[in-house]
Amino acid sequence: MSRFVRNKRRSCKFSSDYAQPIDYKDVNLLKQYISENAKLQPARVTGTVSYYQRQITNAVKRARFLALLPYTDKHE
Amino acid sequence: MRHYEIVVMVHPDQSEQVPAMTERYKSFVEADGGKIHRLEDWGRRQLAYPIAKLHKAHYVLMNVECTDKALAELENAFKFNDAVIRKMVIRTEAAVTGQSALFKNPEEENKREYKSRGGDAPVATEEAATEDVAAEETAA
Repeated sequence: MSRFVRNKRRSCKFSSDYAQPIDYKDVNLLKQYISENAKLQPARVTGTVSYYQRQITNAVKRARFLALLPYTDKHE
Repeated sequence: MRHYEIVVMVHPDQSEQVPAMTERYKSFVEADGGKIHRLEDWGRRQLAYPIAKLHKAHYVLMNVECTDKALAELENAFKFNDAVIRKMVIRTEAAVTGQSALFKNPEEENKREYKSRGGDAPVATEEAATEDVAAEETAA
């Protein structure tokens, strides 16, 4: 079981070759870093390095303000 | 002069006014020696959650280089324009000119939707076809 959990962890997608800063308009990318109920995924789950995790957090919050992403799955 | 990224969400019923509005905002910026580096009209988009009981909004993205005065004028114009339901202004370090991810992706998103719908669609058409046949038979 513990092994299964460990396998789920991915390495940071951005560290190797992601040049530009993370953009709030890139909704499809940001969707990979929020959970099913639209909450932000912790970096320890996605394996993102903290430098990029901070950028993701900012980008998701901006996208939410513009209604590009939901705040929760309980809207409406 | 500083660089700003502005996103404006316009009431979907006022969509026709968008070109006139962007022209007006352009004139604000350019009157003060500013420059518009990128202007994108994303069109009407589905909102992730309702805002003011609306489910859709017309988005406009602008990357501008302008003075404080021009920006204040812009903000004031947004504030007193009832068609603007929400706006966001971000300071950026440099001019951005490339196409934004959202402007490129709508087609992709639509494709995906189409694909997911494609799974259901053939079944529906088949049903319709059989119904038609049945109707013809009863008619005959």
